[in-house]
Amino acid sequence: MARTISSMPKSFFGVLPLYIGVEIILGITILNKCSGAYGILAVFTGHPLDFMQWISYLWSVITLIVYGQGLYQIHKPRVYTFSQILVTFTIDTVITCLFTLWFTAVWFGTDNVVEEPALLKRGEAKFSQGASQGYEYTVTILITMTSLVFRFYYNYVLASFVQELLRNPKFLVDQDDVAQDLKNKNGFTRLWIKSQRVSYHWCRRFLI
Amino acid sequence: MANFFYRWFLSQRPINSEVSELETSLSIKKSIQSIKNYHWTWPSICHYGFMASIFLFTFITNPLPWIIKCLIYSTLILLCLIPLTGQFFFNALPIFTWLALYFTSSYFPAGKRPPITVKVLPAIETILYGDNLSDILATSTNAVFDIFAWIPYGLFHFGAPFVVAGILFIFGPPTILQGYAFAFGYMNLFGVIIQNVFPAAPPWYKILYGLESAHYGMHGSPGGLARIDTLLNIHLYTTAFENSSVIFGAFPSLHSGCATMEALFFSYCFPFLRPLFIFYVCWLWWSTMYLTHHYFVDLMAGSVLSYIIFQYTKYTQLPLVDTSLFCRWSYSNIEKYDMLKENPLGSFDGDDIENIPLSSLDNTRVLDLNDNNVLEFDLDDQASLTPNNIFDRTSYASRSSATSNISLEESPLPPRLNSNKRID
Repeated sequence: MARTISSMPKSFFGVLPLYIGVEIILGITILNKCSGAYGILAVFTGHPLDFMQWISYLWSVITLIVYGQGLYQIHKPRVYTFSQILVTFTIDTVITCLFTLWFTAVWFGTDNVVEEPALLKRGEAKFSQGASQGYEYTVTILITMTSLVFRFYYNYVLASFVQELLRNPKFLVDQDDVAQDLKNKNGFTRLWIKSQRVSYHWCRRFLI
Repeated sequence: MANFFYRWFLSQRPINSEVSELETSLSIKKSIQSIKNYHWTWPSICHYGFMASIFLFTFITNPLPWIIKCLIYSTLILLCLIPLTGQFFFNALPIFTWLALYFTSSYFPAGKRPPITVKVLPAIETILYGDNLSDILATSTNAVFDIFAWIPYGLFHFGAPFVVAGILFIFGPPTILQGYAFAFGYMNLFGVIIQNVFPAAPPWYKILYGLESAHYGMHGSPGGLARIDTLLNIHLYTTAFENSSVIFGAFPSLHSGCATMEALFFSYCFPFLRPLFIFYVCWLWWSTMYLTHHYFVDLMAGSVLSYIIFQYTKYTQLPLVDTSLFCRWSYSNIEKYDMLKENPLGSFDGDDIENIPLSSLDNTRVLDLNDNNVLEFDLDDQASLTPNNIFDRTSYASRSSATSNISLEESPLPPRLNSNKRID
């Protein structure tokens, strides 16, 4: 476990403090998760969606809400909130990888191949100004892989930030207070706080 | 008129406050002296060197007659050197750099341009977001939606940067316009560079030509805006988009980038209206996809570019906003972010309890003043991240924690607590 602690990044890309990294990571992720809301608009436009698309869009909207609270708290972070964000982000990373595989299969499984014209020198004829199939394929894979690599790094930075929160006495959590609050909350809030508490315990277990 | 201006904007002005004053000198000598005395740092060398290289590139590449190009460049240099105009034009150089590159983009020879991709964006869109979201939103169209989509995309987008700049200048803290010009200019500049390096076809291309190979001889298309031309019986958007400078510049979307940048700056200055600005960005996103001008991935690239540049600008250049103050003339001093001081994790080391930062002492910097080494390190650290302006006349107030010019007898409370103009 000590090895895990020492290998965590102490800064964002070796330059910026972790909290700025987390602010940037959450901002970028929130922007991307807005895709779920636009996908769900298919209900009104009549565009057909399959089961996997529905799951993907609904999951995006849920994660959007979880990440949104982190952006508001970044300068005064709560361990419970950021534990929930870290656990959600980690699950989201796994789910994103699975969705990426699934939708990659969907795209390449569809007939998207166009006959390529005979090879010509670049700039010689108008057809050569378009990208070749190989170029399009390479760029597509490159962008997809880059986005996944960044996602893993972001996950790592978030974990490091939560670890710092857990280790810092400034952010000690009084669990009794939270337990007392639960009695006066509605069902959804109780579920929300419970998920934060479970996340907190998971984070303590794996990061400390 | 003067009475109105005084009553609304100057009534809160602190006595002897200079931070909101504008330069009125016409002496070029003053500017030349500033250049001679300027202390160059690596960020400033990168900043000015990068812009100079783009200007030089467009000067050589643009096919306009040399005499016209020389006239345009000379006028710009003159406007930058006259202190009265320079305070606006010099700070807006990133924007002029972007415009110079944008209007030269259509003249790059086709043979030397990178190949146009037509499948990368729809493929990435499907892989990362499950489907072509533009297709989803443009499945059914009607005149009401067309008008609703046209308002942000075809109207607001072109006027908003000026409106935002004007409002920020009047109601934001002094020097915020400088930061806005920097962020807005660089976002667009990087955007146009990416569009040229990675030419990609927008959704309307797939609708018109499928996934067939593209070439630079093709004309652009107004996409869904053609319906607006028909509806209003005009030919405005069809003509404009057919002759666009960057026809295959779908990635990133600068419509999205501009809207996001405007929303971020407004949210920074007027946080109580944040939901309205978020709504505007979401509205513009919807309209770009509905009008088949961009894929969602283009919008994300534009917004992420804006967000990163805004964050950089915020932590290195932007003045702190006091939401209790009414306008630029209400400020008595300018403070900026201190990345280390704002760090919620602080410098606390669990094994060394004596290292807990004493927040009250930290705010007044008494500790810093007692320890010259700490003070020097702190200031150098900030300077290393900020490309200082050559003609910066407010640097003396930067990050200042000096007391307000209002005397303590007159105002026992700081401006934030002493005012009731805005409650956040």
